[in-house]
Amino acid sequence: MTTTSPPTDPAALRVAYLERLATSDEPGAVAVAVGALEAGADPEVVLLDVVAGAQREVGDLWAAGEWTVVQEHVATHISERVVAAVAQHAPAPAPSGLGKVAVACLDGEWHGLPARLLSEVLARHGWAVEFLGASVPAAQLATHLHRAGPDVVAISSSLPSRLPAARRMVEACRATGTPVLAGGAAFGEDGRWARAVGADGWAPDARAAAAMLAADPDGPWFADEDTGASAVPGSRDHVSAREEQAVLHARRAELVRQAAAAVRPGTAGGEVPDELADDLGHLVDFLAAAVFVDDPGLFDGFVRWVGTVTIPDGLRAEEVAPALDALAAALADSPRTVRLLRSAHGAHGGQPATVG
Amino acid sequence: MEGRHGAPTREASAARTTEASPAAPGATPTAPEGGPGLLDGLEEGVVVCDRAGVVRAANPAARALLPQLRVGEIVDVARCEVLSRAVHDRDAPASFETVVVHPDGEHHLRGRRGPVLGPVPPPPPEPRDGDTAWYLRDVTGEHARTDTLLAAQERAAFLAEAGRALHGVLHLDRTARRVVALAVPRLAAGATLVVRHDDTVTWACAELGGGRPRLGHAGTGGLARVPRLAAALTGEGAGTGDPFLAGDLTTLTGLEAPAGDVRTLAVPTTGVVDALVVLAGPRSTGSDSRSDSGSDSVDPLVLAEEEVLTSYVARAGAALAAAALHEEQAHLGAVLQESLAAPRLPATAGIAWGAAYRPARETMRVGGDFYEVVDGSERSAFLLGDVCGKGIEAAVLSGRVRQSWHALRLLEDRPGRLLPLLNTALLDAVATRDESPRFATMVLGDARPLADGTVALRLATGGHPPPLVLRANGDVEAVPVSGMLVGGLREARFGEAEVLLAPGDTCLLYSDGVVEARGPGDFFGEERLADALPRCAGAPAAVLCEHLEQTVVSWLDGHDHDDIAMLAVQAPRHAAEAPQRSEA
Repeated sequence: MTTTSPPTDPAALRVAYLERLATSDEPGAVAVAVGALEAGADPEVVLLDVVAGAQREVGDLWAAGEWTVVQEHVATHISERVVAAVAQHAPAPAPSGLGKVAVACLDGEWHGLPARLLSEVLARHGWAVEFLGASVPAAQLATHLHRAGPDVVAISSSLPSRLPAARRMVEACRATGTPVLAGGAAFGEDGRWARAVGADGWAPDARAAAAMLAADPDGPWFADEDTGASAVPGSRDHVSAREEQAVLHARRAELVRQAAAAVRPGTAGGEVPDELADDLGHLVDFLAAAVFVDDPGLFDGFVRWVGTVTIPDGLRAEEVAPALDALAAALADSPRTVRLLRSAHGAHGGQPATVG
Repeated sequence: MEGRHGAPTREASAARTTEASPAAPGATPTAPEGGPGLLDGLEEGVVVCDRAGVVRAANPAARALLPQLRVGEIVDVARCEVLSRAVHDRDAPASFETVVVHPDGEHHLRGRRGPVLGPVPPPPPEPRDGDTAWYLRDVTGEHARTDTLLAAQERAAFLAEAGRALHGVLHLDRTARRVVALAVPRLAAGATLVVRHDDTVTWACAELGGGRPRLGHAGTGGLARVPRLAAALTGEGAGTGDPFLAGDLTTLTGLEAPAGDVRTLAVPTTGVVDALVVLAGPRSTGSDSRSDSGSDSVDPLVLAEEEVLTSYVARAGAALAAAALHEEQAHLGAVLQESLAAPRLPATAGIAWGAAYRPARETMRVGGDFYEVVDGSERSAFLLGDVCGKGIEAAVLSGRVRQSWHALRLLEDRPGRLLPLLNTALLDAVATRDESPRFATMVLGDARPLADGTVALRLATGGHPPPLVLRANGDVEAVPVSGMLVGGLREARFGEAEVLLAPGDTCLLYSDGVVEARGPGDFFGEERLADALPRCAGAPAAVLCEHLEQTVVSWLDGHDHDDIAMLAVQAPRHAAEAPQRSEA
């Protein structure tokens, strides 16, 4: 606890907060946030600019190989405690009768903090909010819809590889006529994949979501005229996209093994390092998601990103092209998938890979 | 038709090309020599036969319908049996309907006998230059039929949409909103629904251009203020015709009273709830208001509208009743879940707790795995176990185990003695019912934080995987302790152990759902669990459990799994660390 009033400047607070996260100092992190509130900082600024901002930097540190996944988890854990402390110190006002929102992370999305922050922000905007947690199975969401009858469902995810799960959740909402607002990086920089999975709208961040819900509580928030790049449900294109996505999902473990053997021939039959297996697994997941929403850009984005990430023993930039070749060879029966693999950045026959 | 009647096709097409549109109005301004006669312009086919059945004349329409018909030949060559019979048999009915096979496919043909030609045929008009001929037909009936059809289609579409929109909502408030939203503007300019379910009155109101339907609740006590509405709700028929009902509605909703006509309809709900709909400015004014004009002159359109209203109200009633029933069941389930769901962890000075819970049936959020932690002044007691089975049956049995543990630990706090007592209690409970024995496996114990920052554990186990200890430096040790199933035998023997946790050390209790999680390849297994643990060295207990849960669930890769439960007891790394708060 400090004796002088801390500054309320978000950037300075974020630096101080990140320092506390770096040393796994939970009481210190709570003190930074609560101190800022006591100095007159807006709770929303503390939540979104300090806590969420620092967490983004934590993600970058992990991607740069400077932090381990467990360190990242500890930091997230501390931030969750901080959010609880902020909520306790500056409670959201009672719901103003706007309606009920259910906030859920996609099945398989374990980063619950962004959704938690959205819950806090929406509660501060007068909504009655129920936060269903990280990695919510579609069946659990359906049960909640029937039991609680929210007016809107907000789904959150940072990983485009979870998009097939989003479709199931959207279908659960559709069945009860509840509009779905999607948020987070999983749905693309402009939310194009939110449309592809059938959501009624997309918000880039918590502030935008609050503003959209304030302007129109019922949706749909997407303009009607543009139906997006996705194939019409039930059309032949749509069905074959889903089939190929299902094939990728069912053969995931086998594909990872084949790709691993191709990029590190020494591992054939032997032990594949966990990090390499994880990266190749993500590669297959992103491929499946790209097939699912029929957008080569999704897969391409991931392939470019892999080249920039430094994880010891993980997939190296120069291994990307052989991995794509191995997958294309193993998936010859799936024409859409092969097309995506061939056109990907760094694939043989595509543009040359950047190393870095 | 292809192949079956290949031959007539050529003839028919030849006939059509030569006789095509012989007398389209305006298309034949002049009638040259040998031009079409009057009959040729008729859309109705005309066939004239003599006594012997020989065709004397046939206009183009008739030849198009019966391509094989030939003037000068017997009518039978046309291969229309019914016509042949009518021609030959003077006693045959004067009209018929039949199906003829035509190169274009089957045609339905209706025929009637026309007036016999007079002895002196009426003189054909002298053809003159500039003559035009006009054929007139009364199409009033056709139009009426089309309009009726379109209206019927619209009504059917509306009712289908209503069914779709109301089906599967299963939530009373949302159903109520939908019911009124559907009514506007199709049925009326405004609609208010009032539903009584148990001791709550729900109202929903939609009006033209009024945006999202509004919704509110009141206690049934509030019905005393609106006696007419209350009477109408209980289905006293007279109530629905009460002109002062609108006033009551305003009292209930606090919204402005609808102007103009109001019509109230009772909603049939098979007694699950009471409901009525009040329509403002209704499109259908109801049969009662026009009874004085005579019941035999009721407009069929009005009747159809009444039917739509009745069907709409029936659909609304079914949806409301289903939603109310579902709500009752869901409430029962929620109460049960609440009592059986994994508990919150307490905040204990000197001990950090962590837990993860993932039931096999994810919709239920309860299962056969369970854990409990009770904060104590000196020792904090904990329990983690697994009863055989899945789902609600297992959850109920786990509830029994947990309640017994809560009670028994007040009398006996030594784990080595508490477990046999619990064993006996379970066996006795089974003996009083006709139940087959249900087994459980568990680890129970207590934790005592010591002044030097260490935590002393006492453990007892029956039939359960041995707990793992993760040391601060990343070493993993299994606690060597085992025992027999709990609830199986009265003389069962259980294992006991003591563990000292130094600051930063964690003891993990887990159910076999963790190691038996089966991914696309193999079981997760003890080895992978032991391999995953060192990465968590130094992490808070809550993070450790969260990380392991993620690892196991990614291993599963979407495959079904058994219940998964984990409980971590940790001596905090920094002795000075503030007590952990309970999970929010």
